[in-house]
Amino acid sequence: MQFKDQIDFVSQHIKKNKLRVFMTILAATMGTAFLIILASVGFGIQDTLKKEILDNRLVTQVEVYAADLTIDKANEMKKLDHVKAVVLRQEVNAFQETTLDKYKGQSGLLVSDFEEEKKAGFALEEGRLPNGKYEVVVGHDFAKNLMNEEEVEKFQNQQQGNKLNEEEQAELELPHYKGDLLGMEIAYEIGSYETNESYKEPIKLTIVGIAKAPAKDFILDGKLYADASLIPELEAIYKSHQAEESEDSLFYPNLNVYADELQNVKGITTSLKDDGYSVYSISEELEQIDVFFLALKAGLIFVGTIAILISSIGIFNTMTMAVTERTREIGVMKALGAKPKLIQRLFLLESAWIGIIGTVIAVLLSYAISILANYILPLIVGAALGEEDFNELNVTFSIIPWQLVVIASAISIGVAMISGWRPARKATQIDVIDALRREL
Amino acid sequence: MIHVEHIQHSFKIGKKGKERPIPVLKDLSFEVQKGSIISIVGRSGSGKSTLLHIMAGFLKPESGKITVNGTVTSDFNETQSAEFRLAQFGFIFQNFQLMPGLTTFENIELPLKLKGVSKAERTQLVKQLIQHVGLKEVQDHYPNELSGGQQQRVSIARALITNPPIIFADEPTGSLDSETEQEILALIRSLNESRGITFVIITHDDEVASIADEIYQMHDGVLKAGGVHHAI
Repeated sequence: MQFKDQIDFVSQHIKKNKLRVFMTILAATMGTAFLIILASVGFGIQDTLKKEILDNRLVTQVEVYAADLTIDKANEMKKLDHVKAVVLRQEVNAFQETTLDKYKGQSGLLVSDFEEEKKAGFALEEGRLPNGKYEVVVGHDFAKNLMNEEEVEKFQNQQQGNKLNEEEQAELELPHYKGDLLGMEIAYEIGSYETNESYKEPIKLTIVGIAKAPAKDFILDGKLYADASLIPELEAIYKSHQAEESEDSLFYPNLNVYADELQNVKGITTSLKDDGYSVYSISEELEQIDVFFLALKAGLIFVGTIAILISSIGIFNTMTMAVTERTREIGVMKALGAKPKLIQRLFLLESAWIGIIGTVIAVLLSYAISILANYILPLIVGAALGEEDFNELNVTFSIIPWQLVVIASAISIGVAMISGWRPARKATQIDVIDALRREL
Repeated sequence: MIHVEHIQHSFKIGKKGKERPIPVLKDLSFEVQKGSIISIVGRSGSGKSTLLHIMAGFLKPESGKITVNGTVTSDFNETQSAEFRLAQFGFIFQNFQLMPGLTTFENIELPLKLKGVSKAERTQLVKQLIQHVGLKEVQDHYPNELSGGQQQRVSIARALITNPPIIFADEPTGSLDSETEQEILALIRSLNESRGITFVIITHDDEVASIADEIYQMHDGVLKAGGVHHAI
């Protein structure tokens, strides 16, 4: 029998039992769509989490911890393969005071190598990077730290008149420097933590740039970024005020290594670990997240497959009924010379047809539900939680990658064919003589 | 053409484990000549239908041998048997055994579909035959829209469409009135004469049997030759 004739034969029978076949396809569709949607939620959440991590943190960064991190060691690390930059930041560990006109602040200063900072992705909002030792870049929120005592006192007196609760008071922003920063000269002093006073040996620094705001809104960057060439001068001031035997260091080092690409982070992390450093990188977290989500998705697909198995009972019933109803016809076909394999193929084709149509509808339906869920769910969740910012988080609830479509289709069509297998076998075993004796 | 040699067969009846065999065919041997019509006559339960089922390959005999055109068919498996039937045999059944969901045209076309004949060739062959057996008027009718005689004509046309050398007819006029019976018997006789088709007819009706060149009487599983008639 030609394949086209087999298809004709199957479609003729399907047309004859439209309602029953429709209900079976509906069950197959629901099972498959359930599987796809369920797993797509796993894919969606994983994608959202990964994006959040990739957006908000430097994924190529490897934090290095050790007792003595020096410039020499940093230079050693630069020689490792796939290292893009090694940034050794040294933060001043002492009382600090900054003065700009009549405004004072206690911003912390750190020194670094700006060549490396630039390679690592240090970005400016305005101005340029320092060229000499008396030039600095200030953090995005530097101005908020500069205050005038008189103005603050006046402001607080004013506020006492307004009866504000604690929360409202906390939200009030104290008056601070609002003028230009670029090109301004500031006086920077270090001092003692014990007295909370400076040593009265100011260093004049010129602001040449303003750093970009940190990715996380709740972090305020009020730091001063100076060139490493300032270190000797600061150390000289510090030492002159310390007891001779003191071994306290003015600087607290902090070292980050940056890989050229995400996939190379692991190699760098391993070789640094081998060299005896304690290291931390976000890629380790990402790996754990991937493992967790792989398990979650496998679990969701398993639950979804159960739905498909339930729908397969429908296919099994429909096909068993079809064989029982057509016993006489099968008998006649066998009597005329139809081979058992042909009979089996005709019934398998019918159950595969149910599986294929059910799967195609399920895939289309799943995409529609997925698109709709990603559009509507953030609105509902946002409204329910009363958080207006929810939409800005860019949460993806459901993603259907092509691999999921392939897996779900294979499971669904496979299960449909397995369900049709037994009835099809039964059809081949029909006894011609018994079948011909049956009444119409 | 067909050699039946020492065929024996019995059915098992009774509960599982306690079955007892009832012999149906007892050492049957006979021969069917090419281009002849033979009738096997007997009462219900005499074993004549079982003999036809064994000759057609629906059933395997317990012992004995059947040879058709030089091929031993009694050893065939189900698939070989089906292939052989499609190529060599045509069937006419008492209750026509037409497919209720197919039209006259489609019912006649079915064996050609099973053979894998192309659509164009099928259409041409069926059209010719429909004309020949006088079913043109009802070619688009479904079986339930046809009279008994017309249904049996469709059944005969379906048996003829693959041009088989042998046609088995099991009570071909059992469901028809006497007038229609005469028509069908005349058709069988003319097909035998014009196309040289060998007919094996199973019947309990002496009148039907009388169109045969050779008549066998079946009684309690034993076959006896019963003479030569030419009634029509």
